[in-house]
Amino acid sequence: MSNLDLSSGKSATLQRTAQVVEHVRMARDTYRIRLEQPDLARVIRPGQFVMLRLPGRLDPLLGRPFALYDTFLDAQGEPAGIDVVYLVVGKMTGILKDVAVSQSLVVWGPLGHPFPDPAGDQDVALVAGGIGQTPFLAHIRELLGTRGYGGQPVRRRTRRVRLYYGVRDAELAAGVKDFESAGAEVHLASNDGSIGHRGFVTELLESHPAPQHLFGCGPEPMLHALAKVAERMRVPCHVSLETPMACGVGICFSCVTRVKTDDGWDYRRVCVDGPIFESRKLCWE
Amino acid sequence: MDLSITLGRLKLGNPILVASGTFGYAREMEGLVDFAKLGGIVPKTVTQAPRAGNPPPRTVETAAGMLNAIGLDNDGLDHFLKHYLPYLRTLPTAVIGNIAGKTEAEFLAMAEKVGRSTGLAALELNLSCPNVSGGVDFAIDPAVTKRVVAGVRAVCSLPILAKLTPNVTDIVPIAQAAADGGADAVSLVNTFVGMAIDWKRRKPILGNVTGGLSGPAIKPLALRAVWRVARNVKIPIIGIGGISNIDDVMEFLIAGASAVQVGTANFFNPTLSGTLADQLPAALLQLGATRVADIVGTLAG
Ligand SMILES: Cc1cc2nc3c(=O)[nH]c(=O)nc-3n(C[C@H](O)[C@H](O)[C@H](O)COP(=O)(O)OP(=O)(O)OC[C@H]3O[C@@H](n4cnc5c(N)ncnc54)[C@H](O)[C@@H]3O)c2cc1C
Ligand SMILES: Cc1cc2nc3c(=O)[nH]c(=O)nc-3n(C[C@H](O)[C@H](O)[C@H](O)COP(=O)(O)O)c2cc1C
Ligand code: FES
Repeated sequence: MSNLDLSSGKSATLQRTAQVVEHVRMARDTYRIRLEQPDLARVIRPGQFVMLRLPGRLDPLLGRPFALYDTFLDAQGEPAGIDVVYLVVGKMTGILKDVAVSQSLVVWGPLGHPFPDPAGDQDVALVAGGIGQTPFLAHIRELLGTRGYGGQPVRRRTRRVRLYYGVRDAELAAGVKDFESAGAEVHLASNDGSIGHRGFVTELLESHPAPQHLFGCGPEPMLHALAKVAERMRVPCHVSLETPMACGVGICFSCVTRVKTDDGWDYRRVCVDGPIFESRKLCWE
Repeated sequence: MDLSITLGRLKLGNPILVASGTFGYAREMEGLVDFAKLGGIVPKTVTQAPRAGNPPPRTVETAAGMLNAIGLDNDGLDHFLKHYLPYLRTLPTAVIGNIAGKTEAEFLAMAEKVGRSTGLAALELNLSCPNVSGGVDFAIDPAVTKRVVAGVRAVCSLPILAKLTPNVTDIVPIAQAAADGGADAVSLVNTFVGMAIDWKRRKPILGNVTGGLSGPAIKPLALRAVWRVARNVKIPIIGIGGISNIDDVMEFLIAGASAVQVGTANFFNPTLSGTLADQLPAALLQLGATRVADIVGTLAG
């Protein structure tokens, strides 16, 4: 079931064909694809996502959701398009990696809610597991006031941003320089110890002084662990879910997750009610 | 060019509609689709009581299609009338309510209530949802289909569309029963029951095990259903199944549908329905037609 929250002043969704203007490898199985699409770039905000579809094919049939990595600007400093960073995991991303510069993709967005303002919290920690790092570059820039998004005034929203980024091994760490040059303090963790702390990124987080606000994105077990850390630290925590989606716009009811309500729980559509939720409101399995 | 069409007592500005369960409650599509271009909108099926729906995963992509087992996730009829209908009735196109009852009595009670509220152009009966555990698939039995349709007609003055399941040996007698019961048109078809398996884990992929197949993969099957009913039953048809471009629309019209509903394609091409309405006049002209009715059911041979 659902409650439509359409009074949030979000901008209208656009569907466009967008040309690939850059496509580079960032890490093992990880690529950044740059799409020229000024209309979308002007309105999208950190935390929001787009659906991407390979045109002219019926298999894969459906679009796939991808977070905004960042906007890119033209010579005048105006938003010209968006960057998406993706990990090759299956059917669509396996074909996407071979799409050449000057070919086109179909894109629709901006979708979902942006990251909420940390409301005065001056010490913010972002926690990423694997490809869950993608929403955080633009988020860092918005938090530190180094780039404006969606026509919002550019202002520093917080003093300190730490990024805790966990990967399986060093070869999968993507975009670390991007995060550092955007002004975040980056703390790395890897399962095999090949880069940064050996072990889970949530353990690394917990070994440091508590921040005032947590944001997380990554596989569900990691987010669940993060929700527990947030509880122990007694700090607000927002997580961005990577639930599979068929439409991204709220019309298919595929992407539901269980959200606590006054009288128990209810399924909510991640694409329109999320993808960002307060971690204490989710029913973790 | 006259794009208007007639389905029994229902008159629509053009034959391009969007299918129930694939267009939300319309509001989600604001900005993507100019509703004024559509012949009509069918919002998601409403049930008497709220239903949480099935556990995820609820959909899985298959070759040129998808399986869904949403399980009629909705907030119930009263919520629909109070929270969705006020918006829907402001739209510049026909809105066709879609209901599913668990029992015949529930169908009639819902139809009566819906009929008393203003703002709907017609009522589509979802006699065919395959995902409601414990629910009855009404449209597998001609006698039941006729009784439900006739019962609804007696208590509700709106034009009635009977949406049928293709999961039957022969859809013709069911469509005939809907016609006999007084339906203004039949909507053909709902999804085909199927399943997807993860062989490595020896598990079904959908939380509900089985689901309804939709999308381009089912178009040939849906076309045949439309064609057979058009040849054998005197009732207007709304063709549904895999429609993804203007050629598909024309194929359904030629096969015998007076109108079509776009379903799964709304998911992977959200602006499509408006585009199809723009493209229809040129396609009709290619056949030298000036009215939609000129080509309906004109398959040669
Ligand atoms: C809001 C949001 C934002 C996202 N942002 C990003 C992003 O920025 N970057 C990014 O890389 N990803 C992102 N994702 C995830 C991304 O959408 C998926 O990785 C993508 O859809 C994969 O598509 P695919 O066709 O390549 O994989 P698919 O073929 O659809 O497979 C998806 C997953 O399911 C598994 N799978 C496939 N088939 C089966 C089967 N038969 N049985 C069992 N398992 C199977 C695959 O191994 C894979 O792990 C985001 C998701 C959401 C919801
Ligand atoms: C995710 C999904 C949900 C659906 N929900 C409903 C529904 O609530 N009521 C209904 O009558 N049909 C429902 N349908 C069936 C469609 O309206 C349509 O009959 C069917 O999908 C075939 O058309 P298509 O191939 O164009 O999608 C649903 C289909 C899909 C894919
Ligand atoms: S993906 Fe379709 S409703 Fe969320």
